[in-house]
Amino acid sequence: MKHTREPKMPAWNLWPRLKALGVGLGACALALGQALAQSSTQPLPQVHLNAEGLAPRPIEELTGTTVARYYALAWHEMAGALESGRTAALSDEFIGVAKERITRRVNEQTQAGVHVRIVDHGHNLKAVFYSTDGAAMQIFDTAQLEIQTFDGDKLLDTQTAPHEYMVLMTPGADRWYVRDLQEVSAKSF
Amino acid sequence: MQRSNFIHFAGCKALAVCGLLCVWSALAGAADLQVPATVVAGQAFSISAEGSGQATLYLLGPDHAAKRTVNLGGDLQISSSDVHAAGRYQIILCGSPCTSATFEVQAAQPAHLSFFLHPSRVPVSTHDSIDATAFVFDQYFNLDLSSSAVDFRVTPASGAGFSRQVPTRHGVATIRMDSTQHEGPVHVTAVLGKVEEARVVQQVAAEACGLRMKALPGANNTVTVETEPVRDCSGNSLPDGTVVSFTEVDKAGKSTVDTPIKKGIARAQLSVHGRAQITVACGVVLGNEVALDGRL
Repeated sequence: MKHTREPKMPAWNLWPRLKALGVGLGACALALGQALAQSSTQPLPQVHLNAEGLAPRPIEELTGTTVARYYALAWHEMAGALESGRTAALSDEFIGVAKERITRRVNEQTQAGVHVRIVDHGHNLKAVFYSTDGAAMQIFDTAQLEIQTFDGDKLLDTQTAPHEYMVLMTPGADRWYVRDLQEVSAKSF
Repeated sequence: MQRSNFIHFAGCKALAVCGLLCVWSALAGAADLQVPATVVAGQAFSISAEGSGQATLYLLGPDHAAKRTVNLGGDLQISSSDVHAAGRYQIILCGSPCTSATFEVQAAQPAHLSFFLHPSRVPVSTHDSIDATAFVFDQYFNLDLSSSAVDFRVTPASGAGFSRQVPTRHGVATIRMDSTQHEGPVHVTAVLGKVEEARVVQQVAAEACGLRMKALPGANNTVTVETEPVRDCSGNSLPDGTVVSFTEVDKAGKSTVDTPIKKGIARAQLSVHGRAQITVACGVVLGNEVALDGRL
């Protein structure tokens, strides 16, 4: 009869436990990283800019492309911040009053335990004013958004109606900034 | 048979009562939410929430998010500080089920003008050379999308002033103006009600007009060339520092001297070899020509 006995693990031999702990921590870090990166891995929303008949200054093609790109980036960042509750997700696409307002909203949401998920189906922009010196552009945006509001994990409300926004954008050294973003009713257009 | 019918009838009645009780109990906790379609920024208001018991109220706006426990069956107060930012707000009331409603906050009375005047320096008597743009904001820096009219008052350093009233479109009023005839600061003030915002544009002389020079012989084959006071067509002196070019052509070749205007006059000394022709120019404007016969 063969009698085998597991050798008693000495108290100082923590390697197997550390290995298990490491695997666990790695899995947690991976999951956390995926969760944090989720917003940034979302594709940029589709943005179409119509600048036909823009006055008093016409728009250059490159300017139109740049405006659309940075507006898409701004929405991408805002959606990420509103969902994650992290104001760090907002970088330089918003400036001035627009940035202050979104930052305050995100902070208060976090305090209330609320978060918002925006499923962005695209934006149709109509440029309505471009100052002669090129210092400001006013745009109306018709956005197709699905906005889900959560308290913790509980879905409180879902809104799918089109949203209209009045936007003021100003140029910087290498980009266009969103200086004002104000939701308006369609009759304001 | 009769007993069976009675049992059937009693069962149906009990079911109906149970159903009614269920519906009633559900409605008792439900909240019927009534909100105004629009409100003015910074003004408190109340919303009506029918029902009974307690519920959780969520208020989500452009710069605000709040969560409160409220008692149903009466008016719920929304304070002025809850609605500073213009835009669409969402109210969610969660009793037994959740109900939601939206309302729009519109800008309050105009309180700020963001005024851009471009450029900062402009030549006199130039068509459509000054751009004035005013954005209308309320006290909470919401763009006022309602229609109003901005008065642009222009006060030149000399001569009569004037004003133009421009209606706003989506909160923006813009105008292009000609510069006036005389150099100097021009004050432009955007006015809307009691709100005023002033900017200054400096009008400077336009291109030189009637540019003339004279040549004064000096020692050792030199000649001093000197302009008359350099002015534009409206009689404004070109500013000191404006470059005037003297070009001399003689048997030694062609040479050009660029010299700035000092105290309204440009002056230079040239070496001349034999017969020579000297011309003067300022920007795109050519002046007179002087011929020297070599006998200085």
